[in-house]
Amino acid sequence: MPEEATIVQSDQLISADTANAVSILHLYKSFGNNHVLIDFNLAIKKGESVVVLGKSGSGKSVLIKCIIGLLKPDKGTIAVFGKNVSEIKEEELDKLRAKVGFLFQSNALYDSMTVRENLEFPLRRHWIKVSQVEVNKMVLEALDDVGLAHTVDMMPVELSGGMRKRIALARTLILKPEIILYDEPTTGLDPITGKEIIDLMNDIQEKYNTTSLIISHDMNCVRMTSDRVVILVEGKCYANDTWDRLQQNKDPKVKQFFE
Amino acid sequence: MVLPAEIRSFLSEAGELSRFTGRFFSQAFRPRYELYEFTRQCYLIGYSSLPLIGLTSFIMGLVLTMQLRPSMVDYGVESELPSIVGIAIVREIGPVISALIFAGKIGSSIGAELGSMKVTEQIDAMEVSGTNPFKYLVVTRVFAATLMLPVLIILGDTISLYGSFLGVNIRGTTSSHLFWTQVIDSLAFSDVLPAFIKTYFFGFAVGIIGCYKGYNSSKGTEGVGRSANSAVVVASVMVFVIDLLAVQITDLLGLN
Amino acid sequence: MPRKKINTIKLGAFVLTGLLALVLLLYMIGKNQNLFGSTYVLKARFENIQGLVAGNNVRYAGIQTGTVKVINIVDDTTIEIVMLIEKRMLKIIRKNAVVSIGTDGFVGNKVVNISPARQRSDIAQEGDILLSKKSVATDDMLQLLSKTNTDISVIAAELKTTVQRINQSDALWSLLNDKSIPQNIRLAVANIRSATDKANNTVASFQAVASDIQQGKGSVGTLLKDTVFAANLNEAILKIKSVGGQADSLLYEINTMVAGIKEDKDNGNGTLHALFKDSGIVIKLNASLDNIQRGTDGFNQNMEALKHNFLFRGFFKKKAKQQEKENKLKNTASQ
Repeated sequence: MPEEATIVQSDQLISADTANAVSILHLYKSFGNNHVLIDFNLAIKKGESVVVLGKSGSGKSVLIKCIIGLLKPDKGTIAVFGKNVSEIKEEELDKLRAKVGFLFQSNALYDSMTVRENLEFPLRRHWIKVSQVEVNKMVLEALDDVGLAHTVDMMPVELSGGMRKRIALARTLILKPEIILYDEPTTGLDPITGKEIIDLMNDIQEKYNTTSLIISHDMNCVRMTSDRVVILVEGKCYANDTWDRLQQNKDPKVKQFFE
Repeated sequence: MVLPAEIRSFLSEAGELSRFTGRFFSQAFRPRYELYEFTRQCYLIGYSSLPLIGLTSFIMGLVLTMQLRPSMVDYGVESELPSIVGIAIVREIGPVISALIFAGKIGSSIGAELGSMKVTEQIDAMEVSGTNPFKYLVVTRVFAATLMLPVLIILGDTISLYGSFLGVNIRGTTSSHLFWTQVIDSLAFSDVLPAFIKTYFFGFAVGIIGCYKGYNSSKGTEGVGRSANSAVVVASVMVFVIDLLAVQITDLLGLN
Repeated sequence: MPRKKINTIKLGAFVLTGLLALVLLLYMIGKNQNLFGSTYVLKARFENIQGLVAGNNVRYAGIQTGTVKVINIVDDTTIEIVMLIEKRMLKIIRKNAVVSIGTDGFVGNKVVNISPARQRSDIAQEGDILLSKKSVATDDMLQLLSKTNTDISVIAAELKTTVQRINQSDALWSLLNDKSIPQNIRLAVANIRSATDKANNTVASFQAVASDIQQGKGSVGTLLKDTVFAANLNEAILKIKSVGGQADSLLYEINTMVAGIKEDKDNGNGTLHALFKDSGIVIKLNASLDNIQRGTDGFNQNMEALKHNFLFRGFFKKKAKQQEKENKLKNTASQ
């Protein structure tokens, strides 16, 4: 593979702005003297499934927290559906967040609430006016999607790790998001459960035609979910290509992920 | 100027806590108001603490009376026992003991709860779900603690005085009518009001410190334990500091 | 959601109970301080209020009836206290009731006592100024006691010298021991009395005559011309004079007699001397002196006991110190 093919031409990618679900341009983020992201560029088209691959501590989580507005970038712009996340007002950000699902690495299920209340929470909080009947229907539908309709009145602590991950996914799905951000979806799960989650992710992708940004270092997951893989090295978008082509890549920094 | 590391960390902690308090006030009085969550926290923080506070207050009143009796008998003022115990409980012992118990129960539970929410990204999840976690978690809890502790202390004082009534009657006989008349007679507004007002500050201190420690919990389960622990310690110390300030202010205002 | 409902009910009950307890407590205290309910105002003026403060209790004949609302300084010697009195006393307290400041118990708070007067008077109205009585303060008490003490010591000293003088006076003793003297004196006094009685009678008859003169003019001339009557009158007056003279001489005689007795005693002869040799009398005399001594001792002991009373200890210590100081001064002066 010629090296220039793997290097991102970011400006070209972002040119078709409206077609992109997410476009990130010249993103800088540092914590003290630790420069996590240095001039990072990335564009994700609608319906696309992109995996960001990187070593732990390379700033993958920081990246998606910037996209959802949990962290403020030092420099650069992040546009989600053409709206600059770091500049819009709080209410608008909330509206935008309703269209973006986020699956947390640690699930982030609310311990003090039942599964039902967990799923209802985003529905109620986003000022969506729906009747209780509709809410119940949506909750059951989302739980059905992950195959856990029977757990509706259980507490999160009563569930296994894989079940919790699926409930968390159901909570992400309930608002029918157009973009889903997955933060290490298979970490901490056994391979079989991990496989189930990956299948689920693919099902959702197909069913709702969502745009996905997946952060992972689990190569199985990367292989099975990605349309495109972005490799994050030293705060930069080092490589950007399909799984198959990157696997062939001779670059040592790329190669180390495939060994 | 180079300061020892401990002093610097103490100062930065104090600064962070002040900033956190400032953030509380800037957020507390702007919509949206989390009324349902506030009510729920009032129930959890206030109502659920009543058995504990009630028990400790009752024992305190009883023991204080029994401990004071021998000296009172020595001075031949046994009949003044209700007045003295009444003043001691209403002015100082009731508020401070209850606030310390409250700091132990509520400070640690808030610290641990918010700490574990922080560590398991629940706070982030709330923010993503269109909720201002500071308003939803911190403002409601601080308000609930501020408003519930005075109620708890008033009830605790009452229970404590009842314990004292039983204590008086272990070795003597005083009708409940006489007991309450003596207690009320010995009290003035200047005894009750400063003691009552300072309980709001106790509650606020316990709430804000618990939230601060939990909200800034470091990663890992150890961090959660540490924030719960230091929330109790700092809140208890703050209760005493506020008590000291309160007595000086009432002194300055000439209410003592 | 049923769970939520139960929570709210419990929470409501909890908060309301707490607030009720607070309100009840404040109400009871307020009622005690007469901040609520109907009251009226009475005033009294004092020179010194002895540390009374607003909020102290006011009692009428020992019954709790109100509190001191405020204390105003009217001028440099007058302080006015304004009292809130319960309305039920409106039919009871009269204008001539007397207000004084006292202490609740021995070391308790100051209280204002209103005592009824014996005389009838109108009922006191809102804002009336009642009479005030200067109450006994401990300071005043001690000062008075100190004055009494010095008085007693002066009296004791004088008593001592008197007793000594009596002891030393031989004349008095001899006089006391002579049994005939009192008899003579008694006789003489009786004589004087009868003489005076007679003179009185004479004067009375004289007065009657004078009134007769005033009543009837006819007889006056004859009376005045009657020389026998005049001579009689003269004689009577002379007699009165002589009785006076006799009394004089009697006194003189007593005097000379006492002098004689003295001489007798001094020279060692006569009955008196013998009497003085009688040891029984001396013993009796001694006993009576002892009695006096004992009386003084008793007084001394009383004073000593007073000294040891803790309340007055300080006072007497001060006194002892003063004494010492004076003694020292005297010593240095004599040196």
